[in-house]
Amino acid sequence: MKATASRVGIVGTLGLGVLLLIAALLLMAAAPSQAHGQEPRLGKLPEPARSELNTLVTAANQRGLPTEALVDRALEGLAKGASAQAIIAAVGRLRDELVVAHRALGPGATGPEVTAGANAIRAGASGDELTRLKTLRADRSLVVAAGVFADLVASGVPADTAIGAVMALAADVADADYLAFRRTIQRDIAVGVSPMAAIDVRLRGLAEQGLTAGDTPGSVGGGTRVKRKP
Amino acid sequence: MTDHDEVLERAIEGLKAPPELSPDFTVRVMASIAADETPERAPRPRWWRRRWTIEVTPLSLAAAAALGVLAVGLSRAGREGPVPTVVETAALATSTPAAQVTQFLLVAPGADSVSVVGDFNDWSATATPLARANGDGLWWVTVPLSPGRYRYAFVVNGTVWRPDPQTSVVEDEFGRPNSVVTIGGA
Amino acid sequence: MTDESDQSLISRVLGGDRDSFAGLVERYRDRLGRYAVRMLGNQTDAEDALQDTFVRAYRSLGNCRPDGFGPWLYGILVNRCRTYAARRTRSQEVVVANELAVNAAAVGHSADRDAIRDAISWALGQLPSEQREAFLLKHVEDLSYESMEAITGARSSALRMRVFRAREELRKLLAEEVRD
Repeated sequence: MKATASRVGIVGTLGLGVLLLIAALLLMAAAPSQAHGQEPRLGKLPEPARSELNTLVTAANQRGLPTEALVDRALEGLAKGASAQAIIAAVGRLRDELVVAHRALGPGATGPEVTAGANAIRAGASGDELTRLKTLRADRSLVVAAGVFADLVASGVPADTAIGAVMALAADVADADYLAFRRTIQRDIAVGVSPMAAIDVRLRGLAEQGLTAGDTPGSVGGGTRVKRKP
Repeated sequence: MTDHDEVLERAIEGLKAPPELSPDFTVRVMASIAADETPERAPRPRWWRRRWTIEVTPLSLAAAAALGVLAVGLSRAGREGPVPTVVETAALATSTPAAQVTQFLLVAPGADSVSVVGDFNDWSATATPLARANGDGLWWVTVPLSPGRYRYAFVVNGTVWRPDPQTSVVEDEFGRPNSVVTIGGA
Repeated sequence: MTDESDQSLISRVLGGDRDSFAGLVERYRDRLGRYAVRMLGNQTDAEDALQDTFVRAYRSLGNCRPDGFGPWLYGILVNRCRTYAARRTRSQEVVVANELAVNAAAVGHSADRDAIRDAISWALGQLPSEQREAFLLKHVEDLSYESMEAITGARSSALRMRVFRAREELRKLLAEEVRD
C-alpha cells in the first residue's frame, strides 16, 4: 500500500513539468523542421543561425521571391565551414539582389529568371539593364542570357562590355548560341586574347552572320556595339 | 551655430515623415501568423513559477544523460574533419546542355574518393560520388540539370575542396572557391 | 483603422480572435516602420525586421502588459534592428544604394526635399549605431529618457550622452553637406 502511494507521488511530482519538458525535447529532436515556416533543409544549421535564416527565407517567400537559391547559399556556407555570421551575411546579400532583380523583371518573371537576374546584379548589371534585357528577350527565358553575362564577367570581361554583348545578341539568338558564344570567348581568353578584344571580334563575326542587333538600347562600352549589316 | 541648429531641426522634421512600406505589409504579417501552428495566444502558463519537487531516480538520470549525449551529437553534426592531405589533381569538366545531362570529370591520381558538391545536391559531400574510370586516376559522374546557373566544387577524399581547373568561372564568398556551370534549355 | 484601445484588441486576440491583431499592426506599422527604415537605411531589411517584430509580438502577446503594448513593441523592434544591422556587410551596401536610388526615383518628391532627405540619410548612416538608435528614439520618436531606458536597456546618463554626441556629429556632417 505504502509503496504504491509513494510511487504515485513520484509520478505526480515528476509528471507534468518533467514529462512536458521531455516531450518537448523529444519533439524538437525528432522533428526539428515541423514547426511553422521552417525550411527543412536549414535544419542542419545550428541555432541561432537557423532561426535567423528561416525568418529571412520565410519573409522572402512572402515577398514572392524564389527561395531555393537562398537555401542553397546557406548550405554552401555550412558545407564550407563558414561562420554563422558569414552565412547570414551572404544569404542576406543574395536576398537583396533577388529583390532588385524581382523588381526589375516584374511579376511575370519565373523563379529561375529572378535567380539568374540576381546573379547578373551581383556581376554588375543594373536593374534597368535587366529590365531592358527582359524586353529584348521577349517571351524567351532570361535564365541563360543572364547566366552567360555573369559567366563572362567572372571570366574577366568588364561588366559594361559583357552586358553590351549580351544585349546585342538578345533579340536574335537561341540559348545554345549564347552558350557557344561564351565558350568561344572563354577559349579566346585562355589563349591570351584580351577579354574586350575577344568580345569585339566575336561580335563582329556574329554580325557578319546577321546575328546581332544594331543600336541595342542597352549596349555600352567601346567595341561592343555591333551594327547589323544592311 | 544657429544656422546649423536650424538645418538639424529641418532634418529631424524630414525624418518624421512616414515610411513608404509595401501596401501588402499588414497582409504579409497576418499571413505569417495565420500559418503559425503554435501561436502563444494565451498568457504564458505559470506552472514554471511554482515550486516543484523533482525526485531524481537512476532512470531519470539515465534519460538525462542520453538526452545530453544526443544534444552533443547533434551539435557536432556537420563539423568538418581533420586538416586534409593534399592530393594532386588535374581536371576537366564538360557539359552537354542539349541533353541537360552534365558530366563532371576530375583527374585525381591517388585519390580514394571524389564527390561533387553544389547547388544541385544541397552541397552534400555524400550525395554525388564520382566513379573511377580507369587506372589513370580519372573520375566521373553525370548529373541531370535543369536550365540555370549552378555553383559546384569537387571534394577529394572527403576533405580536400577543389574548384574545377578547367573552367575560369570561379566564385566564392566563404573562402573556398567554386566553379560555375550555366545550363541551357534543350 | 479601429478606435478600439490596445488593451481591448489584445484581449480579443488572446481570446482567439486572430484578426484583431491586424488592428494593432495597422496602428503601429508606420511609426515603427519609420524607425526601422531610418535605423537600417534599407527598405527591405526594415520591412523584414518590422514583420519579424510583429510576428514575435503576436507569439508572445501573453507576456505583454496590456497598458504598455507600444513601448513593449518598440523594445522588440530595437532588438530586431540591432540584429539586422549586425548582419550587414560592406558588400550589401552596394545593393542597398541601388535600392534606395530606385525608391527615391519612384517617389518623386521635390528636388529640394530629396536633397535634404538624402543628406540626412547619409549623415545618419555615418553615426555609430548606438548613437543613431538613441537619436532616433529621442528626436524622431519623441520618447522620454525613461521609456528609452526600458526599451534599450541602457542607462539614462549613457543615453543622454549618445544623443548629445549624435546631435553634435549630425550638425557637423550636415554643415559640410550644406557648404558643398
